[in-house]
Amino acid sequence: MIFDPTHIDEIADEYVLGLLDQSDQTAVETEMEHNAVLRNAVAASRERFLPLDATVEPASVPAGLWSRIEAGLGDAEPAVPLGGATLAPEAIYPSAANENRRYGWKATAIASMAASLLLAIALTWSLGRQAEPIVIAVLLDERGDVQAVVEDFGNDNARIRLLADLTVPDDKAIEVWTLPSRDMGPVSLGLLEGASSRVLRAPPLPKPQDAQLYEITLEQAGGSPTGRPTGPILAKGFAKMPR
Amino acid sequence: MPSDDLATSLAACARGDRKGLERIFDTEAGRLIAVAERILRRRDLAEEVVQEAFIRIWKNAHQYAPDRGSARGWIYTIVRNKALNVLRDGRREDLVEDGKLEALQESDQLEDVLGALNRLDQNSRLRDCLASLDERKRRGILLAYVGGYTHGEIAGRLRLPLGTTKSWIRRGLSALRECMS
Repeated sequence: MIFDPTHIDEIADEYVLGLLDQSDQTAVETEMEHNAVLRNAVAASRERFLPLDATVEPASVPAGLWSRIEAGLGDAEPAVPLGGATLAPEAIYPSAANENRRYGWKATAIASMAASLLLAIALTWSLGRQAEPIVIAVLLDERGDVQAVVEDFGNDNARIRLLADLTVPDDKAIEVWTLPSRDMGPVSLGLLEGASSRVLRAPPLPKPQDAQLYEITLEQAGGSPTGRPTGPILAKGFAKMPR
Repeated sequence: MPSDDLATSLAACARGDRKGLERIFDTEAGRLIAVAERILRRRDLAEEVVQEAFIRIWKNAHQYAPDRGSARGWIYTIVRNKALNVLRDGRREDLVEDGKLEALQESDQLEDVLGALNRLDQNSRLRDCLASLDERKRRGILLAYVGGYTHGEIAGRLRLPLGTTKSWIRRGLSALRECMS
């Protein structure tokens, strides 16, 4: 299937109407993952036709349907690469969790292609350096845009590089966190002065692991008053080990 | 439920909070079953589709992002696509159990599908724009979106050759985009 820009709207409409054959339908779904023009065209087409779905008379919902759905969730836990994990679980830090919700951690669109590309760049870039980080984490914001890269060298040293312009009010600071283990809870790696990249002198911590969570939050100047993340999460990501 | 609330509920699902899914179910399940039934013409299959769709919504909630359109559109698409897949796999003919009832059901179905236009909100842009299309183009679009009909099935209902049907629908869609832009 050819995604000629002059036919994108037509393809999007036919896809939304269900008029494409199976192979074209699959081709559209694959293409949408990296073709933003097509993705937008499909979204716009859906919105055009959506009012027709509201014209139905709601059916009566059979008793037991919800419990059948719920029974099916057990072996289908959501794949939560980022959206679900946070250093401030609601149960422990209710105020921080509320703050996060207000901030709108919508299901993170993991611009996974972009993220992996950046990760690849980060890896290449780190290869030429003398000290080798043990792990690298690419931090994404709620929309899936890359905001920063953390390199953890494990010897109480970590480097954070901001890759987006973050606005920090005068009375606030960006604080970098990691979660070495659930038992330890979130630990601050340090503060960023203003919104610039820097090397952090972290407290002694266990050796960073693959898939360890890193996160930056907006805290009051001088850092979180509780020693735990309290402000909105600006970006987060899981660490990978350079291969 | 307003689409913003649906987006919040999807975000809850992405965090692994089942209450989020339950909220979507409580407000939308009845309408989703009806949307699937309008395509499948069988309540039992429609309920099955909605059951599977909710598990999919739960698993894929983290993939929802505003650049994919409204949360409502994202949720309804999952149900619609599942219903269309069931329809295409089983073919519409196999879904009608009693051959004698087929003709009657068919005309009921057509009425139901084409009647969707009149049930659109009076002030709806879509309603005005659909109404401004030639009847065949309008019917073609409604049969496809509302009833889940294929090009071939629409050609049969409109008594037009397949190629002509395809180009009529294409022109209808293009006119509709222009009207709504």
